[in-house]
Amino acid sequence: MRALIAAATGLAVAFALVLTITAMGTPTGKTSPKPLLTTVPAHP
Amino acid sequence: MRRKASLVLLAFAVFFAALSPLLRWYAFPRLAKIPANQYQAVVLEAKNATLLDYGTMKARTVPKVTIVQTLKGDVAAAKKIDRTAGRDVVVWDGLSYVQGPDGKMVSEIPERYIFDAHSQAPVHATGEMVDGDPVKRTGIEFKFPFLTQKRDYEYFDAQTRTTNPIHYKGTQDFRGLKVYYFEQTIPWTQVRFPKVMPVKGITPQSVARTGTTRWYTTVRKFWVEPVTGAPVYGEEIHKEELRGGTLLGGRDKVTAFAGHVKMREDYIRHTVALVKSNRTLVLLMTSYLPWGFLVLGTLLLALALWLEARGRRPGDPEPAAAQAPEPVSA
Repeated sequence: MRALIAAATGLAVAFALVLTITAMGTPTGKTSPKPLLTTVPAHP
Repeated sequence: MRRKASLVLLAFAVFFAALSPLLRWYAFPRLAKIPANQYQAVVLEAKNATLLDYGTMKARTVPKVTIVQTLKGDVAAAKKIDRTAGRDVVVWDGLSYVQGPDGKMVSEIPERYIFDAHSQAPVHATGEMVDGDPVKRTGIEFKFPFLTQKRDYEYFDAQTRTTNPIHYKGTQDFRGLKVYYFEQTIPWTQVRFPKVMPVKGITPQSVARTGTTRWYTTVRKFWVEPVTGAPVYGEEIHKEELRGGTLLGGRDKVTAFAGHVKMREDYIRHTVALVKSNRTLVLLMTSYLPWGFLVLGTLLLALALWLEARGRRPGDPEPAAAQAPEPVSA
């Protein structure tokens, strides 16, 4: 019984961790102020 | 004490074993995304190209034609579409600016490309366009999906505004990276004149009145790093002609542009370095961590079982049994 509880705890923590990280998502940031280029840049 | 330790190890074993598929199949599609605020430019060159001189209406060979392609993510527009589409999208405003050897503009074609941030599938929303004309893409453009497969994809061609197959032609080594080579041929097709023409006073409408039409063909080549889906190198064998009408002075056709367009060397080096670092991040989520967690989970499980077995070993001294009192004989 104690082994079952230990396994269930491990599983629950794994789910909680992944769900929390994915719910936080990725940061979107802001639109770059740089223009669409109409000149040839010297370097990348 | 051993019993307690084996239970803790068992919990960790299940934790890591569960984390492995969750990371690969649940977290990866939700976290691996093209950033909405991406900004990137690439420079391509066609050396010894043929270019139409609009003053004399004759084609001439020029030392170099340069194409500057910029992509810029519009974060506000992406957030707005996210809400209606119900998924994360990326809105790219692009500009293909072509410059002649004298530094003057040859053509400039703006685009708006809207797509799913993970799968790269096109998303249709108001504003999707090429050179101001509304379009509905049914294929990918500029980039391939994460974990690109060895198969043909549908690829959007901005000049013809059509989607056609781009064929997988084999796996190659490109500067130390394993890449998939894709190729697409667009046959001679009549296309629209750009909204902005290189000569002042000439508009697409005024050219259309002369009866002259614009035709285009290209062979598009991409070397794609399959983990990130990013092209590390690209080439195009591009030809454009003006055909018929009074503009050509009795000639059937004249070459407007012909050239073998290749990425500039410094941009190749920059792209390869960028893709190599992004590749590691994607591999971390799709391979390194899932496999690592699975192995760790298995080891911890084995350790937990071993500890448990040691705790129950038959060789261990039995607890001393209470001695029964000897019967006393009378």
